[in-house]
Amino acid sequence: MRKLALALLCLLSFAVAAHDMPGMHMASGPGLGASAAFDAHGRLWVVDAADGHVRIRHSDDLGKTLSAPVDVNAVAEPIYDSGENRPKIAFGPKGELYVSWSQPLAKPWSGYVRFARSLDGGAHFSAPITVHHDLAVITHRFDTLAVDGQGRVVLAWIDKRDLEAAKAKGQPYLGAAVFYSWSNDEGKSFVPERKVMDNSCECCRITLARTPDGGIAAFFRGVFGDNIRDHAYALLPTDGSAPHAERATFSNWHIAACPEQGPGLAIGDDGTRHAVWYEASQGPAIWYGQLDPGHPPQHALKLAGPGASHADVAAHGSTVWLAWNQVDAKGYSLMLRVSRDGGLHFGAPSAIASSSAAVGSPQLLVLQDHAYVAWNAADGFRLIPAEAR
Amino acid sequence: MRCSALAAVLALALPSFAHAGAPTSLSAAEVPALLKPPAHGVRIIAIWSLDCAYCEANMQALAKLQHAHPREIELVTVATDDIGQSAAIEARLGAAHMGGYPARAYAEASPGRLDFMIDPGWGGETPRTEIIRADGSRQGITGEITETQLDKLP
Repeated sequence: MRKLALALLCLLSFAVAAHDMPGMHMASGPGLGASAAFDAHGRLWVVDAADGHVRIRHSDDLGKTLSAPVDVNAVAEPIYDSGENRPKIAFGPKGELYVSWSQPLAKPWSGYVRFARSLDGGAHFSAPITVHHDLAVITHRFDTLAVDGQGRVVLAWIDKRDLEAAKAKGQPYLGAAVFYSWSNDEGKSFVPERKVMDNSCECCRITLARTPDGGIAAFFRGVFGDNIRDHAYALLPTDGSAPHAERATFSNWHIAACPEQGPGLAIGDDGTRHAVWYEASQGPAIWYGQLDPGHPPQHALKLAGPGASHADVAAHGSTVWLAWNQVDAKGYSLMLRVSRDGGLHFGAPSAIASSSAAVGSPQLLVLQDHAYVAWNAADGFRLIPAEAR
Repeated sequence: MRCSALAAVLALALPSFAHAGAPTSLSAAEVPALLKPPAHGVRIIAIWSLDCAYCEANMQALAKLQHAHPREIELVTVATDDIGQSAAIEARLGAAHMGGYPARAYAEASPGRLDFMIDPGWGGETPRTEIIRADGSRQGITGEITETQLDKLP
């Protein structure tokens, strides 16, 4: 009888542990949430998650072959790796590799933002640390990672501490908040987190981009007024001053729902803020525009309608690339549009790849004046040249 | 190790206990059957996702309506998360007292294709309520359903 009771207890513990891991694929295969980036030497790095480990691989032949994976976290832990969540990678000025991810906790929607670094070219990683000082079992997830012009590691994420505080007082609070932190010591430690804006969307990725003067800007979906799901833009200061977020899109999409589609941002050398975003005020649509915070975007262009999703943008000189997924009943097409005049005019959309298997969000990468799209499909990772070479 | 072995043996011996209320997968090929008009009354498909903060309240409002009209309304829940997350989906449905309804979960690792097949005019935001009537008419509602919208159902 005691053995049966012990077994039941064990089974219950196992079941509870399994149930507490949303975002972690219990079938143990890798999820589609992957990130890719070129380092300063043109080596491609890819991070994703499998079996409770963030794993990193590299390629010296533009993604045709990938190295054996190296585990970033030696001790397995739950990892969000689907939907708008994916492990992130960025590089420091001296070749440091920085990796972040979100770790699901026991309660629904809860998580911690985790971080590890490698100072030996990706051979070994530091033990992961939790970036934020607030350790309540609430939402701290949808992490985003960037390195500024001074080598500071900047992380932003969606955080529900103010929602929880408002609920405790019986006060209304729409959405969540965006918080950020940074490291002045190559990722060894992070300063106490600061709030970027109250009332952000709860389940959409944040995008970070470097400004021409080396700062980091954030672009993310907010909740304005009574559940209007437009976007906000904010610089993330690292000098102690307070961030100032401003509404930057004005679609007036009013909805009490999770779009699960965050925006994209690339800032040109001239400071032009090239952005892409999704909204469905008049049916599903993805848009390009140049942000003018506080005012509607300039040169707004509807890129596509039903079936289009998860756009990304990259800019280099006067060239602007836009990529997105276009789906129909047969599967997915990877779509591309290119502008050669700084985003004033774009060429016709073209399908540069297709997949009958499920795909993750496309990610535009620039290497030596050329753009590539990292496209992670259920049947494997692909790096696709944006234009024939 | 001993604990894990015992649990594994028991899980194998009691599959019904381990999987009670687990969602069944929804593949692309199965979407037409899900959308086929019911013989009578209304089928309401409550589409939700693990990341969605509005979905449990939406499902519960629809369940209350179904409870009031058990003969007219057939309620099915569909999670847009990959069936690989079956355990988390089942646990969340159970915690929301939704475990008694037929539950499906996407058989694909990303939701775009199945979203499009269910309704090309829907971009995948959740909650989404699909209402399919016996006369073949359909209605889709994105976002948490309002009292006014509920009053017009079934």
